[in-house]
Amino acid sequence: MEFAFPEYNLRLMAPEIFLFLWALLIIAYDVLTKRKSETTAGYLALAGLMITGLILGFTGTGHGFGNMFVSDTAAKFFKIIFLGSAFMAIGSSFGIMREKIVNHRGEFYGLILFSTVGMMFLSSSNELLSLYIGLELTTIPLFVLAAFFKDDKLSVEAGIKYFIVGAFSSALLLYGISFLYGLSGTTDLVQMKINIAITHLTFQNIGVILILAIVLVVAGIGFKLSLPPFHQWVPDVYQGSPTPVAAFLSVGSKAAGLIAFAKIFVNGLFAFHHPDMAPNDWGRLVALLAVAAMILGNTVAIRQTNIKRMLGYSSIAQVGYIMIGIVAMNALGMAAMGFYIFAYMFANMGAFAAVAIVEDKTGSCEISTYSGLARTSPLLSATFAVFLLSLAGIPPLAGFMAKFYIFAAGIQAAQHDPGLYWMYWLVGIALLTTVFAIYYYANIIKQMYFAKEPSPHKVTYNFPALTVLLIGLAGLFVFGIYPEPVLHFASGIASSFGIIP
Amino acid sequence: MVPVSAYLIVAIVLFGIGTVGVLISRNMIVMFMCIELMLNAANLALIAFSRSLEVMDGHAFVFLVLTVAAAEAAVGLAIVLAIYRNRETINIDRFSILKW
Amino acid sequence: MSLDTLIFVISVIVAVFSATMMIVQRNPIASVLYLIVSLVAQAVLYVQLGALFLGSILIIVYAGAILVLFLFIIMLLNLRGNEDLGEKSPLVSQATKFIVSILFVLELVFVVRSGYVAESIATGVADTGSTGFGSVEDVALLLFTRYLYPFELTSILLLAAIVGAVVMARRENRDIQQSMFVEQTPSETFKKGQG
Repeated sequence: MEFAFPEYNLRLMAPEIFLFLWALLIIAYDVLTKRKSETTAGYLALAGLMITGLILGFTGTGHGFGNMFVSDTAAKFFKIIFLGSAFMAIGSSFGIMREKIVNHRGEFYGLILFSTVGMMFLSSSNELLSLYIGLELTTIPLFVLAAFFKDDKLSVEAGIKYFIVGAFSSALLLYGISFLYGLSGTTDLVQMKINIAITHLTFQNIGVILILAIVLVVAGIGFKLSLPPFHQWVPDVYQGSPTPVAAFLSVGSKAAGLIAFAKIFVNGLFAFHHPDMAPNDWGRLVALLAVAAMILGNTVAIRQTNIKRMLGYSSIAQVGYIMIGIVAMNALGMAAMGFYIFAYMFANMGAFAAVAIVEDKTGSCEISTYSGLARTSPLLSATFAVFLLSLAGIPPLAGFMAKFYIFAAGIQAAQHDPGLYWMYWLVGIALLTTVFAIYYYANIIKQMYFAKEPSPHKVTYNFPALTVLLIGLAGLFVFGIYPEPVLHFASGIASSFGIIP
Repeated sequence: MVPVSAYLIVAIVLFGIGTVGVLISRNMIVMFMCIELMLNAANLALIAFSRSLEVMDGHAFVFLVLTVAAAEAAVGLAIVLAIYRNRETINIDRFSILKW
Repeated sequence: MSLDTLIFVISVIVAVFSATMMIVQRNPIASVLYLIVSLVAQAVLYVQLGALFLGSILIIVYAGAILVLFLFIIMLLNLRGNEDLGEKSPLVSQATKFIVSILFVLELVFVVRSGYVAESIATGVADTGSTGFGSVEDVALLLFTRYLYPFELTSILLLAAIVGAVVMARRENRDIQQSMFVEQTPSETFKKGQG
């Protein structure tokens, strides 16, 4: 066998390498200073994320390691989301550092950064093997983070549940990937796009294996994305794990699942999103799961009494909306998907930061705790209300624009291709469920503002958590009123996946 | 010669046993072992495909998957250790403070 | 039935049977041992498919190291599964153990014999220049050239897993939290492990 050494282009990887080394530095710092400082490790982590963002801004586009590593618009866009959600998760974690985590602060931040590095590598990988390993690098630190309160029964239980589900889903994904490899003879996604189509034309009988492969990959990534019927773990793990970790799970880990999904399906299995491919058409399968996610997430969320469980179900519903963008598979759909997750990051991370602030003060995550909070803590209540309204999709917030673009993309796809007439139904159901969503988000706002008794608690802010709240608030208003720059950037995602506008 | 498809069927059977095991097993460590079995079934499929395609990419894949499985097992068993200290049991049915 | 097919059939029977036994066993230690047997049988299948290196890795690393870690944890936690295990249909249990052992030994015999056969085939084909499929050299070449990127990624993954495992497995000692290295004598661990 003859092999040429590929061109490495390590400078394209500079943000990842820097963040990885920074994570090591934080762990080493924490151990060497005998874990005395409560906050230094956290500020170091925030600084590292900011520097990484800066380096990312200066990193060009291109390929490294042969064709394995790719730095394109889609990768960069998602890297910003990963860095942003890690930043906001760490920002809201200073409260738990005071009492609950006393012994492993450096490791806590180090593991969050490791997970972020994994997400960044994942979004840059152009091939199934590094995609799989990137996904594992994303989830393995998260298993530990979910169980980080070792003395807390709920946290350990969340960790073990997340571990079993995560390991199980990665086995499913690996098996699906092995079939994709067998059908295409390559692990490279761009090559796979061509090879599988050729195999499909040459051998008519690959249908069964291809269906199995598609179902397994959808299931494997569906667990990470929490698409029903693979969603059962979400409320439990969100409730049990530390609030900043739940926040990071709900945005960072979902965005990672989303880019992995988009890479495999939009890129690798491009040809099989078409009504003519009837049994192998993954579009309909994913559309069905999206409908299930929207209906289930939004209806079950109404009954929840724990705010983290409610946000968990709400995040299931949000993923349903995002999947419409992927199923639409047009340029607008890809841009809308990017914009949606961007707006979702501000709203959801902000909401979890607010939950973390209240939890630090009261030690409770029950929705009843929020009753009458507006009179004692007006700033927190106001920002929390804005985050919830954005999640519900009320103008002029960014969440509204995101939903608008997603629905527009769905309708455009239906108009463009008569075979995709069911997209009308999909958008119709999405609109209907949005109404349900407003109900349970508004319920919390009602509790906060219209309760008879003022709340006995008055929250106290620490500086980083306050910053996170303000970042979320600013992001939602600025990008709700003026979404063009982000939308323009996000429209590059389509061309990264080879979709011509 | 045994046809490669026979190996694929074996892989499917092993994967199925692993999946059933994860679903019916009550002992967490046995659940992990079933997941390991699933990973190995996927590895067997990868090697079989590699053979039939006469390219060795699958071998690199399997090698790295073994590494990932080792990392996963280490973390998983550490979590089991933590939970055992906390609860004195590893029967999955006992973990229902959260609703599941 | 050729020797090749015979080896295939026996190893499939052993692999599938011990995998099934693994999930029906109530004693976790027996489960681990059955999984090891299943993996060894799978390693035979690997070798039949030309993956010599990976077959040996599967036995050395997987059966030899990872599953021993499982055993170690089970013994550390002192799990016994069901206490009345010994009285539960001893005859069937004995018989299955016996059958599996016999099959296992048979398989070993066949593998050793096929080793000679494979060698003779390999030397026969060597002239055509198509050997090396699945050899250490070729796997290494792939890993260090085309798949260097995922290979490097696994190094980060392993580091993250080590950090995570240490955080999870370490016993917190509240009195001396601030100290860097908390000493833990083995006898203490043992006592706590017994509950």
